[in-house]
Amino acid sequence: MTLNLGYFQGIESSTTEWKTLSFDRGRGAIEVAVPVLSETQLKSLCTRVKNMSQTYLKTIPVSDLVNIIDTTISSFLDRTNPYRQQAEDLLPRITGYDPEMIRLGLTSYLKTFRKVELNRFLSEDFSNPKILDEFQPLPKGGLGRAYGPDLLFHIWAGNVPGLPIWSLVSGLLVKAGNIGKVSSAEPLMASLFSKLLAEIDPKLGECIAIVWWEGGQNKWEEVLLKQADLVLAYGNNDTLRQIRNRTPITTRCLTYGHKISFGMISRSALDTGKSWTTAHQAAYDIVRYDQQGCYSPQIFFVEEGGAVSPEQFAQFLARELENFENKFPSRSLTIEEASIVASWRQSEELKAFSEEKRAFLADPNGRWSVSYSETAGEIYPSGLNRTIQVFAVGSLREVPSIVKPYKAFLQTVGIAASPEELIQLASQLGAIGVTRISALEHMTTPEAGWHHDGRFNLLDLVTVTEVERTAETAAEAFSDYVD
Amino acid sequence: MKFNKQIVLVTGSSRGIGAAIAKAFAAEGATVIINYIKNSAAAIETAEKCKELGGSAKIIQADVSSGEQIQKLIDEILQDFSKIDILVNNAFKPYIFDSENRKQFHETSWNDYQEQLDGVLFSSYTLCQTILPIFKKRTKGNIINIASDLVARPTIPYHDYMTAKAALIGFSRNLAMEVGQFGIRVNCVAPGLVYPTDGSMNTKEGLKEMIINQTPLRRIAAPEDVAGPVLFLASSWSGFITGQTLYIDGGLVMR
Repeated sequence: MTLNLGYFQGIESSTTEWKTLSFDRGRGAIEVAVPVLSETQLKSLCTRVKNMSQTYLKTIPVSDLVNIIDTTISSFLDRTNPYRQQAEDLLPRITGYDPEMIRLGLTSYLKTFRKVELNRFLSEDFSNPKILDEFQPLPKGGLGRAYGPDLLFHIWAGNVPGLPIWSLVSGLLVKAGNIGKVSSAEPLMASLFSKLLAEIDPKLGECIAIVWWEGGQNKWEEVLLKQADLVLAYGNNDTLRQIRNRTPITTRCLTYGHKISFGMISRSALDTGKSWTTAHQAAYDIVRYDQQGCYSPQIFFVEEGGAVSPEQFAQFLARELENFENKFPSRSLTIEEASIVASWRQSEELKAFSEEKRAFLADPNGRWSVSYSETAGEIYPSGLNRTIQVFAVGSLREVPSIVKPYKAFLQTVGIAASPEELIQLASQLGAIGVTRISALEHMTTPEAGWHHDGRFNLLDLVTVTEVERTAETAAEAFSDYVD
Repeated sequence: MKFNKQIVLVTGSSRGIGAAIAKAFAAEGATVIINYIKNSAAAIETAEKCKELGGSAKIIQADVSSGEQIQKLIDEILQDFSKIDILVNNAFKPYIFDSENRKQFHETSWNDYQEQLDGVLFSSYTLCQTILPIFKKRTKGNIINIASDLVARPTIPYHDYMTAKAALIGFSRNLAMEVGQFGIRVNCVAPGLVYPTDGSMNTKEGLKEMIINQTPLRRIAAPEDVAGPVLFLASSWSGFITGQTLYIDGGLVMR
């Protein structure tokens, strides 16, 4: 039986059209059905979600919302829960990722949405989260209250499984009604999360809808862009540009586009005791979700002068990529992905052949490749899917000037360096647009409450209504108790 | 193909390490007896894979903790093929490897030891008793027992299980001494942590990482890693090796 994905209330599912999506990524073929609502149905869904957001969601204290989300996430963390089991079974088949990588990835991701982390998330953006519930005193004087949009329209990419949960949780925490359009590449997790949430709090479930339409089909998108108070879109820059151009000028549109992330290894992490661990951690960052995340490294800059040379580090890295093939075997690639990898490999191999001071290490079957260069000239993206460039540098301090031309695209830097170097590098990197610095092995697992692309995830979603001090003072004159 | 026309019995071969060994033999042309106790679907799948790989396979259900069922198993094989060339003692009593909740020595009863000794040694003993007369008639035969590297390096002291595995190594050495004169060889392989198998499915990531960190080849074993050394010990390439234990753990144990 084909599994129906998507999620919505108030429309008979028999009255909607269902489109079958087929997946065959080498881990068992599967078909799922996604709903294609008519424009009328989509409009009525918008009204319904907006209405529920106003009449129900906006009345719940944020601490209660935290508890409901926490309960949902606890169920999802429980490996005996049917939704969790469905995710563990279907995600590898839909995405092609190794089941073990998915299983471990789900747990490490979902646990960042437990109660304590959600509270951290809130207090990261709001010094007093009660500002989401009622007017609170503001430090500058007067009172303020933060309002989430009645309808937040999410447009998700499918690069990393489960990412829509991040933006759905953000929307719910600021009491937004949410309609999310899932990507054809990963329509599962947003649907499962919403169904599970609706089981725990059916009325909260009515504040969410998960829909789908073929990418590039603008008529459905137009409906939502017109109805939404706020648009949150993920994808490549061309897609985002089009979405932004079609969004009414009165509607805010927040976009998360393509990014480049990289790693930096100091000579202090390259002694004979620590260098293998450093390479192991770097390889993990490459392997996890096959470099599909904006935070996944595409380049490692390795400092010369350590006991282990940058070239030796590249060899360690190659060996660890091979070892990870055993733990998290790579997925079979689409024709498009395979051709990108093949042309990247061909070009890097050719350079290694024709230029001295270069080396190319690769698995003969194309599952991973490491391109090493003794000089860091012009940088360029890797072929993704476990292809990585390793550049030797005399000093890590040279790196910011090398990557500076790509300022608009920089995001995460994984650093293995001493505390003094870390702070020194962080200030240089921050100045050229890097927004996140993590330890190696954690590049692809941002901590709860991280500021995605340096932005305030929750604060960006709200508008604040201020009661100025003058209004407060003036009101005193009209009180019953005025002397 | 190295094992063409050879009849190989791998006990407990529907899943995990046993299935990997069975498939490796099949890929070298052997006829493999897929023995299982419960999971017939897995046994059928493994048998089909064996055929795809170019070998032959026959599925026989038998609980090798029962002497009676062992006799029936061997009789059925002889009826069909009139010989057995290689015995791989892979099936043992299931054991839960839970490093965080294992029994400490003071919690381990003699009965726990007895159960494991029965679970590990009884089936090997009985299978060897049943099969050796057949081997002796042809003055050749090969027995491979699956032990564990924890015998040499008890990273986690699973007292009862590992004592039984240590006994299996002693058992194999003594048997090798006695049956060598009939041209029969007896060896052991001792894998480290093998993942994924039913026994290791719940092994925590922290423990796996700790083992990986101390292992020269920097990973843990997959079921397929165990197959190569078993095939080597079963082949003429190891014709002058008997009574030995080969460690399959990426160099964690060196001796």
